[in-house]
Amino acid sequence: MNALALFALAVVAAAATDILLPGRALYHDGWFCVSIAAVAIFAIFSARRAVRRGGSAAAIVAVAFGAAIAGFAVVASGLLAPDDRTVVGAPGTDVRVDDLGGSLVFPFAQASPRSDVVLARTGHAPLPVGLNHRYVSAFVLREIPRIVLFVQARDARGGNLTITQPNGVAFLSPVLLMQQHQPIPGTGLDVPYDAFAVPAAHRLVKAVLFSPEQAATMPGLAGIASYAVLFDATDEDDRSLPNGFGVAPAGRAVRVGGISLTGRAIVFPAVEIDAIPSLPAVALGAALVFGGLVAGWRIGAPETRRPEERT
Amino acid sequence: MSGRLWWLAGGAALLVAFLVLLPFFSKPSGGSGPQAIVGRPVPVIPLQDVDGAAVSLSRYRGEIAIVNLWATWCPPCRAEMPDLQRIDERYGSRGVAIVGIDQGESAQRARAFARSLRIGYPIWIDDAQQYGRAFGALGLPTTVIVGRNGVVARAFDGPLTYDDLRRALEGLLAPS
Repeated sequence: MNALALFALAVVAAAATDILLPGRALYHDGWFCVSIAAVAIFAIFSARRAVRRGGSAAAIVAVAFGAAIAGFAVVASGLLAPDDRTVVGAPGTDVRVDDLGGSLVFPFAQASPRSDVVLARTGHAPLPVGLNHRYVSAFVLREIPRIVLFVQARDARGGNLTITQPNGVAFLSPVLLMQQHQPIPGTGLDVPYDAFAVPAAHRLVKAVLFSPEQAATMPGLAGIASYAVLFDATDEDDRSLPNGFGVAPAGRAVRVGGISLTGRAIVFPAVEIDAIPSLPAVALGAALVFGGLVAGWRIGAPETRRPEERT
Repeated sequence: MSGRLWWLAGGAALLVAFLVLLPFFSKPSGGSGPQAIVGRPVPVIPLQDVDGAAVSLSRYRGEIAIVNLWATWCPPCRAEMPDLQRIDERYGSRGVAIVGIDQGESAQRARAFARSLRIGYPIWIDDAQQYGRAFGALGLPTTVIVGRNGVVARAFDGPLTYDDLRRALEGLLAPS
């Protein structure tokens, strides 16, 4: 029973680690899954040996079966579950996530007080995701705060202009999700950027966001302890414009290509989704392993205390 | 060990395998863009009209509301608005209300534009473009028809003609 117990506990420990410390690439590695499968198989073979030696069959089968269930759950999650990923949604949009059987509803950026992303599923109560791990089926979710850029465009009279993102997550969104990065040669900087259009002014604009530390190193912005935004405007055919380039601290307007642009850096959540082994399966497996070990120990304990009776 | 125990373990193993694998074989959903909100309660977002008065879609509960997202720079929106005006004149007395929600522009610009087209239905201003995102708009115009119960009954991406709108409404106006 000792080898069986060792193998079974190893499998349950691996499953528990996968659940409690999710999001490691290791869990999807082939060698990890093969190792867990091998340990579970060793547990089953050890169980056969233990039964032949005359141990309690029910307790041994429970331990082996529990190890097999937990191992299967870990291997299935590692090999079949989708890779861990981060869902980035625009404020006020719903993003369908088929694996979760529902949609992630992103709050409006202007919501006050700050509200959580909510998982909406038919037949279930809405589930706020939040910053802590939230376990759903064979997945664990949690919010990751990100910096996004809320842009405002105004015409010469100060009137608002529509912002569109033809290639963005949401077409009619003034919130740039800044998912792309661009290295700046010679500086060692790697900065997030995004692009938008101002159709009423026939402008395409690229916005590059600099962190307060990066901004502090930029000429003209030294001493400003805030994010900075660089706007590069072109016409609709992507041709350069006179005065089509400007940089300003976040929250301050800058005139670029004939329009006034303001960018505000705001914190907005994305949702990290990590696959984990099926919770009910691991719970059942662990219960069988521990139940079997306790039952086996209680049955076998008198034998260990009186070795002379074994012969 | 008895054969019965093996059979029991085998059956349980199959059941567990099914439960473990089930989450990884979900069916992809249909519906994207504005179509995705059909059947859901219409989002109610407080806005202002072109005169600065507070407005919201909750005032149309019990009526059929045609909510049209538009902007002055959008030529298809301009082409569609006279047809929406005709629908307003024809069906207004039958409990159909039309609201045009300008996306991201100033009240002055939207008001001047609507006047130039002799639009009589209410024009609201959504300067943060919240409805554009809530409706999953893929472009402009985007039109959503809300039933008397406040649930989105139809959603359209792109311009609609008078006949398109009439057909969409007839089904909702028919006595049940």
